[in-house]
Amino acid sequence: MVKRKNIFRSIGFALLVFLIVMFALFPFLQMASLSLKYQWDWGNPSFIPKQINLEAYKELLNIGQELKNVPESIVLLLEEQPDLTDAQRKAILAKYQDTGDVFPFLRYFANSLILASIAALMSVTLAVFGSYSFSRLRFRGQSAVQRGVLFVYMFGGILLLIPLYKVFVALGFISTPTGTFISLMTIYMVQTLPVSLYMLGNYFRTIPYSIEEAAMIEGASRFGTIWRIIIPLSLSAIVTVYIYSFMIAWNEYLFASVFLKSFKEYYTLPIGLKTLFNSKNAIWDRIMSASMLTALPVIALFMTIQKNLAGGLTSGGVKE
Amino acid sequence: MSRITHTTGGAAAAIKDTAVQKLSTRAQRDERLGWSLVAPSVIIILALILYPVLYNIYLSFFDVSLSEGNTFSGLANHREILGDAEFWKAISTTIIYVVFTTVGTTLAGLGTAIVMNKKFPLRGLVRSLILLPYVAPVISVVFAWQFIFDPVNGIFMDIFYDKLHLFSERFSLIGSPSTAVWVAILFAIWKNFPFTYLMILSRLQAIDENLYEAAEIDGANGWQKFRHITLPEVYFVVNAIILLRVIWNFNKFEEVYLLTSNVKVLSVYTYLKAFTGTMDLGQGATLAVLQFFILIGFILFYVKKVLKW
Repeated sequence: MVKRKNIFRSIGFALLVFLIVMFALFPFLQMASLSLKYQWDWGNPSFIPKQINLEAYKELLNIGQELKNVPESIVLLLEEQPDLTDAQRKAILAKYQDTGDVFPFLRYFANSLILASIAALMSVTLAVFGSYSFSRLRFRGQSAVQRGVLFVYMFGGILLLIPLYKVFVALGFISTPTGTFISLMTIYMVQTLPVSLYMLGNYFRTIPYSIEEAAMIEGASRFGTIWRIIIPLSLSAIVTVYIYSFMIAWNEYLFASVFLKSFKEYYTLPIGLKTLFNSKNAIWDRIMSASMLTALPVIALFMTIQKNLAGGLTSGGVKE
Repeated sequence: MSRITHTTGGAAAAIKDTAVQKLSTRAQRDERLGWSLVAPSVIIILALILYPVLYNIYLSFFDVSLSEGNTFSGLANHREILGDAEFWKAISTTIIYVVFTTVGTTLAGLGTAIVMNKKFPLRGLVRSLILLPYVAPVISVVFAWQFIFDPVNGIFMDIFYDKLHLFSERFSLIGSPSTAVWVAILFAIWKNFPFTYLMILSRLQAIDENLYEAAEIDGANGWQKFRHITLPEVYFVVNAIILLRVIWNFNKFEEVYLLTSNVKVLSVYTYLKAFTGTMDLGQGATLAVLQFFILIGFILFYVKKVLKW
């Protein structure tokens, strides 16, 4: 009797775990499955495609696109003319290629990558010194600085968007693509700075002060101890904070959509995807494979820092 | 310092003097160094977060134009907004959105945390898999959600229309404002419950196992253990998460706007006012300020009445 009850219990429990996992992963499975399906297969509720379709991925990653859209007669013509130089061939083919206009995934990917990696780098660099300062040194106003950082949690993006847009327009940054890019980079840096400060500060406090003291008795300067002791000891935390900041910048839509509106070449992935969805080129398999390719780097990065990040988040370093 | 005890008389005093001097100069040095290390961060935060907030309040009293200057308009923006039915509609949508997403996220997170606190095979893998909704970029998951509710091919209609015959026709759940808000709420719960779960789980792991054992010896059942041990232990963290969740979801933009254009919560309403159509930045600023003060009001109320700080 007791045993029977236990079996029911563990089956019920396994079911519960399964339900939770399904709830979390269902949209991801949907996305992965649809990105691999042909159009005639969309209405099929099963996640397994009847036939695998990799066209959308190839198109986005620009693999094997040379002869796409090129009429057969031209291909034949090219094959029959062995004395054409490579440059001439390319020039002829280029006339028929406009895949870049559909959705220049690689370009948007590069834009996002540059923006997010530099913004995160600046944020973490500032945060290493800033958080060292208020977690280690004593100075007047120290706790005010520390607490002030938390206030930033209350400001939503929309509250900062209008004034920052107005300021950057007035400074003349928004009239050129480079200026716009720099303003966005600065904004992403600021947006992630409080979180970086907070997370790193928490980590630095766990490093025993005696290690530093020993180094200073040996004659190392403060900068020397930061460089030779604090940074090497907290490298994993610094990487975690860097990646977290990177993810925040990578995912950002609100500011990018307003600032980059008129510079299509400089779109980041989120605005690029949103524009694609609203365009006539919106086809489910293309959208889903683009979604997959946008999510994958973030998920991969997350997996590498998962253990450390969980600790950082639960001690209060979060931004939404 | 130990060297001082070995020296004698005046020499000791002299060394002590220089030691004190060194200490005070070191404190001064620390102070200077402390400020200079933190100054770049502080200046940047002041210039790009605090100043914009204040500037936004200033702008709310103006008719703002990007090409020409601003013209002072006093409370005209405020009056216009408060008389606008759409604003009040946005307020009520926001309240519905915030209340249901907060309750839903907290309950889902609490339930998941309790389940994940038990031992079972593959727990490590499961624990990290269910964090994915929180980590994935909003833009990369909204389309999958839209497809689920797609009227022609989506699985929702497949189940509820084709298999269960609950509806008389296929329709888009995201298509109309009255149903889209519920999809947006479900989406936000899905997206954010992992964070709540993570926070509560780390608290649950800190509870002393002996408490449960003692309760079992006294004959307590599962519910009683939850009610009298688990709940009091997680009470504080849950309340703190609820506060954070309300703040964040009240300001939510991307998770609503990217999923559907039919749910106009305050942030979306402000965005549309300020950056589409006639681009009324002044009214946008006013809306953002009003939203901010509503939030401050709520925070003060919550901290005083619920958290009783």
